[in-house]
Parts: sequence; C-alpha cells; structure tokens
Amino acid sequence: MFKQLDPLLHSELRLAIMSILISVEEADFVYLKEQTKSTSGNLSVQIDKLSEAGYIEVERGFVGKRTRTVCKITQVGIKAFEEYVESLKEYLNL
Amino acid sequence: MEEKQLNEKESLELITRMIRNTQQRIERGNGIPFLIWGYTTVLVSLLVWFTLKSTQNYYWNLLWFLIPVIGFTAMTISMKKEKKGVTTYIDKVIMYVWIVIGIAAFIPAPAATIMEGFPILFIVTLLISIGTAITGLIIRFVPLIVAGFIGMFLSIFCLILGNALDSVLVFAALFLIVQVIPGHILNWKGRKHV
Repeated sequence: MFKQLDPLLHSELRLAIMSILISVEEADFVYLKEQTKSTSGNLSVQIDKLSEAGYIEVERGFVGKRTRTVCKITQVGIKAFEEYVESLKEYLNL
Repeated sequence: MEEKQLNEKESLELITRMIRNTQQRIERGNGIPFLIWGYTTVLVSLLVWFTLKSTQNYYWNLLWFLIPVIGFTAMTISMKKEKKGVTTYIDKVIMYVWIVIGIAAFIPAPAATIMEGFPILFIVTLLISIGTAITGLIIRFVPLIVAGFIGMFLSIFCLILGNALDSVLVFAALFLIVQVIPGHILNWKGRKHV
C-alpha cells in the first residue's frame, strides 16, 4: 500500500519553494520569485501556507527602506520533505 | 509557476531541477572580504613601518588597532550593501571558520604589547593563511588553496626576522599574497560567471 503524498508538498510552486529551501540555509522572497518564475501574489500565498503548516519560518525585516522577507526551512519541513521524497521513490519504484 | 498538481515523475524532476539551479547559482565566490582585510592590513602595515622607521617611537605600534576598526567598519557597510538573496550552508561554514580565525588572531594581540619578542606577526599570518586555505578547500577554489599554503610557508620568515622592523614589510607582502591577489581572482571569476 502506497503512502499518500503530502498534499501540501504535492503542488508545483510549494514543492519548488521547499526544494530550494532544503538546499540552502535561507533565501529571500526576491530569490525565490526569480528561481520559481512565479508571481509575487501567488508566491506570497504559498509561502504563507507553508509557514502556517510549520514547514518554513518567515522573517520579515528591512534593508534600508525596503522590506525583505527571508524564508528558512524548519525541522518539521525537512522531515516532511524527506518523507515526501521517500513516498515518491516508492511510487516510482526507485 | 502555478499551484498545479504534479505527477510523481514531474515532482522528482522539479526537485532535482530546483536543487541543481540553486547549487549552480550559489557556488560563485565573493572576494570582497579578502580585499577589505587584505588592503586594510597592507596599508596599515606600511603606515606602521614608515612611522616606526622615521620616528623610532614605538607608540606608533598603536596604529595596528586601525586594522580591526577599518576592517569591521568596511565589512559592515559591504554586508549591508550586498545583501544576497540566498545564504547557503557553505556561507555559514566559511563565516564560522573566519570568526574562529579572527578571534584566535586577536587574542594574542595584548600579549604582543606586554611581552617583548612575542611572534605576533608570525601567529597572525599563519592563522590567516590557514583560514584562506580552508576557505579555498571548502569552495574548491585553487588560487585560495595555493595562496593559503604559500602563506603558511612564508609566515616562517616573520618568525625568522623576529622583532626586526622589516618583518612588518614581510607581513604586508604576505597579506598581499594571501588575501589581496586571491581576492581579486575570486571577484574576477565571480563576475565571469554572472
């Protein structure tokens, strides 16, 4: 019996955000937007969903007069991501 | 990119692509810290050498403290200006290496003011060379590795010259080799990859 894939991660943009954050210490909103080629509005919504689930930490600060949102994956997020990849492997018989 | 459902194969491909893109983007080096500390140390060393040589007044040794003052100020300004969009584990590791090296290099400074003949220039150049070689190995950048090991070897000259005034010139030359030259190469390589 296959495990059900985490619905929160099984979406293109959220999975892209998590894949970037798993490989870095932290990344800001501009970087994530550039890498995922998404719109600010959509990215913002998906970041909030991941943050509400406790998968990522979001820190909003200032650089000069401009706001800067920095995202970082949490231990809960790392575990969820690892489980998601394991489930994917099972599905794909890897 | 949308909030689209993916099949399993697409998911795995997306994960691989995102991680690969991120890795390719972040492995660019930044030579600015090397240039800040390198040029500051070279200029202050030459200033110390010149004032000591022309006045014979050893109070001019206090000018050494200009290095942390100028260095930390310039680093703070540079970090505020060049806020990167992403911080990697490698950035963190390198930062910790230099915090340890920096602390280790400043701890013996008071001893040098009290104990005559204390080989402070040797200790500092050896530590900075070790830091440079470790950084080079972490980011896999050969000029830094080579500069670090050359520095470790040449630091012995600071020990041999001891308290002779000319050891300050060797110290300055070492910073040119260990920090300034590889810093410029690192920046040049970084720009080429943009």
